[in-house]
Amino acid sequence: MTLKDVLPGEKCIIKNIYVNNLRKRIIDMGLTTGTVITVKKMAPLGDPMEIVVRGYSLTIRKAEARMIDVEKIIGAKP
Amino acid sequence: MIKIALVGNPNSGKTTLFNGLTGSNQSVGNWPGVTVEKKSGKLKHDQFEAEIIDLPGIYSLSTVSLEEEISRKYIMNNQIDLIINIVDASNLERNLFLTYQLLDSEIPIIVALNCMDLIAKKLDSLNVHALQEELKVPVIPITASKKHGIIELIDFLAKSDFSHQRHLMTYREDIEKTLSDFEQILGQRLLAIRFFEDGLKAVEFMQIDQKTIAILDKSCQENKKNFSIDFDMVLPNYRYDRIVEVCEKVLLKSKISVVSKTEKIDRILTNRWLGLPLFGIIMFLVFFLAFGPIGTWLTGGFVKGIDWFFTLITQTANSLNMASWVSSLLTNGVFGGLAAVVGFLPQLMILFFALSILEDSGYMARAAFIMDRALSKFGLSGKAFIPMMIGFGCSVPAIVSTRTLDRDEDRKITMMIIPFISCGAKAPIYGVFAGALFFNYSYLIVFSMYILGIVVAILSAMLFKKTILKSDNANYIMELPEYRAPTAKNTLLHTWERSKSFLIKAGTVLLGAFIVIWFFSYFGFVDGSFRLLAKDEIEYSILGIIGKFILPVFRPIGFTSWKSTVAIMTGFAAKESVVGTLGILYGITGDAIQNGALLYEPIRMAFSSVQAYAFMAFALLASPCIAAMVAMKRELRSWKWFAFSIIYELTVAYLVALLIFQFGSMDTGTMLSVIFAIFVLAVVFFTFKSIIKKKGNVCGSCNNCAVSGSCHLPKKDDFEKTNFDNKKGDDFET
Repeated sequence: MTLKDVLPGEKCIIKNIYVNNLRKRIIDMGLTTGTVITVKKMAPLGDPMEIVVRGYSLTIRKAEARMIDVEKIIGAKP
Repeated sequence: MIKIALVGNPNSGKTTLFNGLTGSNQSVGNWPGVTVEKKSGKLKHDQFEAEIIDLPGIYSLSTVSLEEEISRKYIMNNQIDLIINIVDASNLERNLFLTYQLLDSEIPIIVALNCMDLIAKKLDSLNVHALQEELKVPVIPITASKKHGIIELIDFLAKSDFSHQRHLMTYREDIEKTLSDFEQILGQRLLAIRFFEDGLKAVEFMQIDQKTIAILDKSCQENKKNFSIDFDMVLPNYRYDRIVEVCEKVLLKSKISVVSKTEKIDRILTNRWLGLPLFGIIMFLVFFLAFGPIGTWLTGGFVKGIDWFFTLITQTANSLNMASWVSSLLTNGVFGGLAAVVGFLPQLMILFFALSILEDSGYMARAAFIMDRALSKFGLSGKAFIPMMIGFGCSVPAIVSTRTLDRDEDRKITMMIIPFISCGAKAPIYGVFAGALFFNYSYLIVFSMYILGIVVAILSAMLFKKTILKSDNANYIMELPEYRAPTAKNTLLHTWERSKSFLIKAGTVLLGAFIVIWFFSYFGFVDGSFRLLAKDEIEYSILGIIGKFILPVFRPIGFTSWKSTVAIMTGFAAKESVVGTLGILYGITGDAIQNGALLYEPIRMAFSSVQAYAFMAFALLASPCIAAMVAMKRELRSWKWFAFSIIYELTVAYLVALLIFQFGSMDTGTMLSVIFAIFVLAVVFFTFKSIIKKKGNVCGSCNNCAVSGSCHLPKKDDFEKTNFDNKKGDDFET
């Protein structure tokens, strides 16, 4: 699944990043393989999404989120 | 004198530390990207003197947006003796990424660990000594906002000796092997590391020949086989893994998990349902403050003061028996023009003040987050919303505030569409015309002008995106900073700085422009002699002559009298003078701007409603006033772009007015047939468009999607193939 499909409150772990656009920025801001991401919420209009990564809040568009391959962590406390 | 550069993530407190070190007063925001140009100041100590350079914030040495390029160049070119790397302790993991990249260079580094107060507040504990052991560079804990630790930092600088070689970072064995391969070709370890991360983009500045590129490429392909993950992710991944280890050692997270203040506020302010209405209310409040009763009252008082001063000057000028042209220059040219512009100052200051509070508190980032979806439809980023919003007040601060946008193209586009948005000064024009000709519908007519402005602005943005500033949709990736209470000092500083630059502009460039316009409107040939004109002789002025000369061009858009063209031209000085000039031309006694009703009768005589509507549209869309043009030139930093945007705006204004007038003057039968023709054309166009569009279905992740061949995003395999492709460097831009 991709990061776009993760629901608010759920946690996931990054498998791979296929993003081409903004790729370096995304990686350097801490989204590397194996990183745990908590999806916090969607913006009121549904896009972008707010995620918590490495202890800070980052907002990214779904266009980029759907290019990030993740695996949901089941049973994680929200 | 040694050169010290402040390097750190955006919004990590560099500018605050800079102020603390140099004693200067730079404004600070809680909004990533406040420092857009480098600033430098002097640090004086009894033992040494240093030049401190405040560089724009960067997340990494790879990202190369316009401002980040400045910082990267500084570090890569070894132009500095020492780096103070400011690290936000409350966001340690991400901040250390840049630190680790910096550690690859040979420049001496001191880490200033900022926001120690936040660590204490969260009940976490951070072992500074252990961090120092890990990084093998000095670490000084500070709280820049409270000025804690600054003296210790300066004392440390004074007594340290940075002449000896610093311990350089070493990597895992397989990485080291690749690095040494690259180093053999490039000749420098730092370059090898940068090449490993960024590809050819990193060595672009060296202008290496094709042969070396081929060797590099070959070496790249060989080394790629040794890693299981994407090649450009090898180093970042390794670094972050190491950082996580370090953080686990030095940072002891409190066992009591407290819901942070920021999270509590955000539960309301960016709430799914409440977020949008609250945003609307906050924006409304800002405008209500600036343009509502309070702002109008303040402006009224201020204008009265200026008027009083103005009368005093006029009287003095008259009593001194100066030549009539001198007193005319002073009263009509200099003070008349300045009063029109400076009169806005109170409203602008309120606007700046409110915006600083939004910026310093951290809400501005949320505003961009909330509005991004709406703006992305037009190819813009959420960050473009604030400048556009300010544009309803005044184009000048709106244009300046485009600096916070990420990419140069987005900035240009936003700047060029702002003048279409109906600013406060254009309102009197609508007021007079709508009041005179549209009676009960006047509100609707005025409202339609605002809508027209927005529609033209949005269509222009889309047009620019598709043509001259071709780029993908504006990028958006943004950190949401923690909320901070704005300090009075910083807010006032912000307001003052922006007001000051407005005043300076009014006093320099604008003054020159006003004198030129004054000369054009008050001098002319009467009965064969060139002389100063009286107020009601504007017909004979140079401006009047030009107005008559260019009138034929304006006839197709419904202008029938040179008076209209002259009024439009004076609008370039300040939009509200359109009404003022009309007042003079129609021989109104009294202030036409303040009492528009005086103009109703002559306007009814001279304009039909269609003509009036075309006139209003032209006044709305034609190039902005001089103040805005000056701001635009300064921010676009290019005559070419400036000339283009002015010509574009004039053309659009002309075309729209032409459309309105020509269409509006048709009789009903023709009008209906034209509507029918347009309708048929639209149907044909959209049918074709949907057929074409069907070919390229929008797909999700390009990993395993069936129709991924038609989508412009690379497939997984393609992507790996082009991983170190030359062109890919372009995508690094943000």
